[in-house]
Amino acid sequence: MTSTFFKASIVGATAVCLSVASTHPSRADAASCPSPIPLGLTTALTGNVALLGTQARSGVEFAVDEINAAGGINGKKLALTTEDTGSSSTDALNAMNRILEGKPLVIFGSMISPHVFAQTEVVTKSETPFMVGATNAKMTSQGSKWMFRIHVHDGQLADLIPEYLVKTLGKTKPGIIAVADDYGLGASRGIQASLAKLDANPVSVTSYAPSDKDMSAQLLEIKDKGADSVILFGRPADVTLVVKQMNDLGIKLTMIGNSSLVAQTTLNNLTAAEADGAYVIGGMIPQTSTDPKILDWAKRVQDKYKVPPDNFTVSYYDTVYLLKSIIEKTGCDKAAIRDALAATKDWKGMLISYQANALGDLAHTLGVYRNKGKTPELIGPIKESGF
Amino acid sequence: MGQLVVNGLALGSIYALVALGLLLIFNTVQIVNFAQGQLLMLGAFIGISCAVTHELPMAAAWAVTMAAMALVGVVFMVLVYFPLRGRPAFLVILTTIAMGIVLENLALIIWGPLPVSLPSPVSGPPLRFAGVVVSMHQLFIFATLAVILFLQFVFLTKTRFGILMQATAQDLHTARLVGIPVKRTIAVAFALGTMLSGIAGLLVAPIFLAEPTMGGSLGLKGFVVSVIGGFGNLPGAVIGGLFLGLIETFGARYISSNFRDAYAFIVMITVLIVWPRGLFGEKSSEKV
Repeated sequence: MTSTFFKASIVGATAVCLSVASTHPSRADAASCPSPIPLGLTTALTGNVALLGTQARSGVEFAVDEINAAGGINGKKLALTTEDTGSSSTDALNAMNRILEGKPLVIFGSMISPHVFAQTEVVTKSETPFMVGATNAKMTSQGSKWMFRIHVHDGQLADLIPEYLVKTLGKTKPGIIAVADDYGLGASRGIQASLAKLDANPVSVTSYAPSDKDMSAQLLEIKDKGADSVILFGRPADVTLVVKQMNDLGIKLTMIGNSSLVAQTTLNNLTAAEADGAYVIGGMIPQTSTDPKILDWAKRVQDKYKVPPDNFTVSYYDTVYLLKSIIEKTGCDKAAIRDALAATKDWKGMLISYQANALGDLAHTLGVYRNKGKTPELIGPIKESGF
Repeated sequence: MGQLVVNGLALGSIYALVALGLLLIFNTVQIVNFAQGQLLMLGAFIGISCAVTHELPMAAAWAVTMAAMALVGVVFMVLVYFPLRGRPAFLVILTTIAMGIVLENLALIIWGPLPVSLPSPVSGPPLRFAGVVVSMHQLFIFATLAVILFLQFVFLTKTRFGILMQATAQDLHTARLVGIPVKRTIAVAFALGTMLSGIAGLLVAPIFLAEPTMGGSLGLKGFVVSVIGGFGNLPGAVIGGLFLGLIETFGARYISSNFRDAYAFIVMITVLIVWPRGLFGEKSSEKV
C-alpha cells in the first residue's frame, strides 16, 4: 500500500513538474537568451546593387528598432550587426565571416543570389539559422537545413508570368528582355521553359548587361520579329530605361514583368504614359494596400531611409517579427529556432501569410498588378501551385 | 536599320564627349584620368540638384553645373596631379581609379542609390521619317558634340591660351623655362576637361538616368574610343566614339546582346593590332 502510494506520488509529482514546465515555456526560455540577443545582417549597401541591398537593411533595422522600442523580446533587446557585401561575392563571403565572428543567433542574408550562394557553406557549418531573400530558384535546393527563404523566387515567377500572359492576356508571341546576370538570365531560362510547355515559344530572347544604358537594339529586334508582347525582367534602374526607350521608339506592346515595374523608384522616373498598362507578377508591395496601418508604415520607412519600401522591405520586416514570435516560444536555441522555422504554417505577415515547404521556402503568395498611369493597382493575389 | 544608326550615333556621341574631356587633360599633362566617368556622374547629380531639387531654370542649372565642375577639376588637379608629378605612370593611373571609387561612394552618401532623371533642356515631339524616330534630346546631343568639337579646335589652335596649352603638352619643362604659366595652363586644362565631363553628364542624365555607379562603364568607353581614334587626336576620338556606338548597337541587334560590352574591347584590340597608334594616331599614343 505504502509502496503503491509512493510510486503514485512520484508519478504525480513528475506529471505536475512537467505540466508546470510546459505551461511556462517563455519564462524558462527567456533566461536562455543572451542580453542583448545578437543578430547579423549582410547586404549590399554600396556598389551597383546597393539600391536593392538597402531594402533588406531598411526592413530588418526598422523591425529591430520597433521591437527594441517596445521592450525587446521577453525584456531582452536585439543587437543587430550589419556588414556591407558591396557588389562582389568575395566581399559577401568576407562580410559573412566577420558577422560569424560575433556568433549571432540568426543571420539575415541579402536578396542578391550570387552573394548568398557564396555564403551558404560557411553559414551552414556554423549551424546558424539563415534567412535570405535571394530569388534564384535553386537557392533553397542546396541541401542546407539552416537556410530559409522569406521572399518569392524566380521559379514561381517563371511559371506564373507565362501562364498569366498566355491564359489570361491571350498573348502567344512574346519577346523576352532580361538583365544579363544570375537574376535575369535564370528567370529568362525558366520563362522560356514554361512558355514551351504552353506552346507559346518566344519570338525573340534578348538580354542586356547590368551596366548597359542603351537597350534600343534589343527592343527593335523584339519589334522586328513580330512579338505581340514583351516579358521584361530586370532591376528598377534598368527596367526604367527599357520602358522609356520602348516609349521613345514608339513600340506599343503588352508588357509584363517582375516587381521592378511597379517599384516606386521606377515609377518616379517614368511619365504616366510610359508606365501605364504594364502588368507585374511579383512579391506583394505595400503601396497598393488600402490598410491605413500599412500605408502609415510605408510612409514611416520612407521618411527614415529616404527610399520607398518595396516587396523586399516587407519580407525582411516580416521575418524579424516571425523570428520574435519563435524566440518567444522556443527561446534562443538555434536548432529549436530552425525547427520552428521549418514548421512555420500560416504565420500572418504584413501582406501575406508564410508557410514553410520542405526546402525552406516560406513565401508562396504573389501579387498581380497593373499600372494605371504611374499608380500600380492590385489585380489580385496569386498563389504558387500547391499552396 | 535607320533607327539603329540614329541610336548608335547618339550613344557614340556620349562616348565621344567623355573622350574629349579625357583628351583635353591628357594632351596637357599626359595623364589618363580614369575617374572621368565618375566626374560625368558628378556633373549629372549637380545638374539634378540644381534643376530638380532647387528648381533652377534649366539654363541656370547648366551654368551652375559647369562652374562647379570647373572648380572640381581644379581641386582634382591639386589632390591627384600635383602630389604625383614625376612619379611612375601606373601610380597616377591607380590614383585616378581610386578617386573614381571615392567619388562614387561620396555620391552614394550624398544622393543615395536611387536612379534619378534630369529633364532635357529641349522639348518637343520627336522627328519621324521613314519609320525612324529621332528625339529632340538626341538632336541636342549631336549639336552639342559638334559645337564642343568646333570650340575645342578653335580654342586649341586659334587662341593664345590654347597654343600655350599645346606648348605645355609638348614639353612642360621647356614651357616653364620660356615663361609659360604652366600651373595656370594645367589648371585650365583640368577645369575644361572636367567641365566637358559635366556636360556629358547633363546630356546623359535625361536619357540614361543618374545613379552613383553610372560613370564606370561610360568612363571606360571614353578611354576605349580615345584609343581607337588615336590617343590625343580630338577628331579621332569623335569618330572613334561614333564608330563604337554603331558597332555596339548593330552588334547587339545582329550578333548578340550578351556581348555588347565585349564589342568595345574586341574593336579596341583589333584596332591596336592593325593600327598600333589608333585610327588617327599621333606619336603621343606611344605614351598610353
